[in-house]
Amino acid sequence: MSGSLSGRQRLERALAIVPWIASRGGTASIDEVCRRFDIDVEQLQSCLDTVSMVGVYPYTPDALLEVFMEPDHITVNLPEYFTRPLRLTPTQTFGLIAAGRALLALPDADPQGALARAIAKIENSTGVGSAVEIDIDPVPPEVREVLGAAIEAHQRIEIDHYNYNRDIWSTRMVDPWRIQAADGHWYLEGHCHQAADLRRFRIDRIGSVRVLDETFDPPAELPEFTAFAADHSLPTVTLDLAPAAAWVATQYPAEAIERLGDGTVRVTLAVSAPAWLERLLLRVGDDASIVEIDDSLRGTRAAAARRVLQHYLH
Amino acid sequence: MAAADKFERMMNLLAALLDAPRPLSAEQIQDRVAGYSTDKEAFRRTFERDKDELRDLGVPIQLAPIPGTFPEQQGYKVDRQRYELPELDLEPDEIAALRLALQTVRVGDPDAHENESTAALWRLGGVDDGSIVDVDDGLAAIPADPRQAVILDAMRDRRVCRFAYPSEEGSALRTVEPWRVGYRRGHWYLTGYDGDREAQRQFRLDRILGEIVVDGPGTFTGPPPETRGEDYRPWDDGSETPVLAVIAVDAAHAAWARETLGEQTVAGTDDRGRTRFMVPITSWPAFRSFLVSFLDHAELLEPPDLRADLVAWLTAIAGSEEP
Repeated sequence: MSGSLSGRQRLERALAIVPWIASRGGTASIDEVCRRFDIDVEQLQSCLDTVSMVGVYPYTPDALLEVFMEPDHITVNLPEYFTRPLRLTPTQTFGLIAAGRALLALPDADPQGALARAIAKIENSTGVGSAVEIDIDPVPPEVREVLGAAIEAHQRIEIDHYNYNRDIWSTRMVDPWRIQAADGHWYLEGHCHQAADLRRFRIDRIGSVRVLDETFDPPAELPEFTAFAADHSLPTVTLDLAPAAAWVATQYPAEAIERLGDGTVRVTLAVSAPAWLERLLLRVGDDASIVEIDDSLRGTRAAAARRVLQHYLH
Repeated sequence: MAAADKFERMMNLLAALLDAPRPLSAEQIQDRVAGYSTDKEAFRRTFERDKDELRDLGVPIQLAPIPGTFPEQQGYKVDRQRYELPELDLEPDEIAALRLALQTVRVGDPDAHENESTAALWRLGGVDDGSIVDVDDGLAAIPADPRQAVILDAMRDRRVCRFAYPSEEGSALRTVEPWRVGYRRGHWYLTGYDGDREAQRQFRLDRILGEIVVDGPGTFTGPPPETRGEDYRPWDDGSETPVLAVIAVDAAHAAWARETLGEQTVAGTDDRGRTRFMVPITSWPAFRSFLVSFLDHAELLEPPDLRADLVAWLTAIAGSEEP
């Protein structure tokens, strides 16, 4: 980081740096402080110049923080109230525990390792014990191994994949780039030859993997890891949701959400595939009424109900 | 040098609030903290902003009565106990492992995650070769929900939580002793003791309606049981007389059903290669909603009255008008 820091950035750093030096017996090397706290020497100098003028009324020398910057080290002598860093905010604590627990949930995590010890100490200090549990879909180790090896060796693969939204199985030839987890599921990301584009496949919906005798050149830079982007060219449906079905508005990316007076939520959703809409409309049943629907999707709910009924009419 | 002035003033304010043996009135702060304007209105504005920014960093600024004032006057203070990071005794390799976890798993919005994570590492003392958290090469992302922090605080202080939650009748007020929060299949859940239903229940955080209201600290005592939370199954969270539903699921879809319903519900394979499941349910609407998400890849076999109800329900939908 270079240039001058904002007031907030200075404050955040000062409240960490000054107590940290105090915890080291009151002296620390400038190089180490700069590395640890992402600050250059000029910024540190300017920050500590200000800190040395901080104190309490009447601001006589004995009421100020003592901070001396020597050519290669810093010495501090602080009133007791500035010797401990500021505690973590609930959001920060939660972020640490959630990230740590997610990694520890992986099959190859070391339950006695440094991360497990760190998370246990943080959980104990918050008094909540091991009250946060993270569970990302387990991927069968053999699938992970096959995919991992193919990614490593740049080997093309063929997969049988179930598309939940379209309710169909298909065989795809894929250049596998990486495996990532999002929304609680693992995804294989890569170039799909059928789609001639980047695709993500949920790994728990891959039925089988065959490693082909072909290699590929991975892109120099992988695309940014982002959530699925909204596609505004899709047909839409607008539903009035009774409170019992209001979860639909938060479950799916909505184009528009409007709260009507009586607890009803009016939501407009983009429809990526008819089977997705069939499932949704049957699941919510009479807790949703259709306000508007694209012509291409008209009759979806009734047709889906008739198809399911086939089972029961023999 | 506006940034430096503001920084100096806020440090002075924090020093005064930490050092004061009793709450400071706004007048005392204006008079005794270096950097504030002598103009009352200008002071007010600046002080309010500074106070908000300090609180945003997590500084617990409290408003409390000033002893010996009559009529009673309110003043500001920062309780050092609540300000200071507790002694965690983290070893350098443990802090480095936390940095790695924060780089690998992103919680919530990427920018906020990077800023909050970096600030958290600094407060813990930082890592020798740099403490910046950069999630470009992250492996996993977990959504954040603003209710997580509220619930974590409520768990720590043993505060009972009250919130509205969707129910079969629309929505109902739930009173819950928060025990655990968990992340499963893309959603955050709260597990706790539901005082109204007198049983352990799970709630999806994103389905909670409106704000969570928390009671005072120590409003429940029992230690949470150490058992790991079961998967939440809404058809098991109703108030109907329990019945056993039997369904058959096509082979290609059975893996998902097995994972969601639980291994113990599997009851063999039928002559068409479909997997049978026997599922105890206490909420028929919730189970019906699950069942129809298989579209025509699953069939309800028993009990006959629910089968008849499903047929009537589907027939009504099949004949319903659309705009």
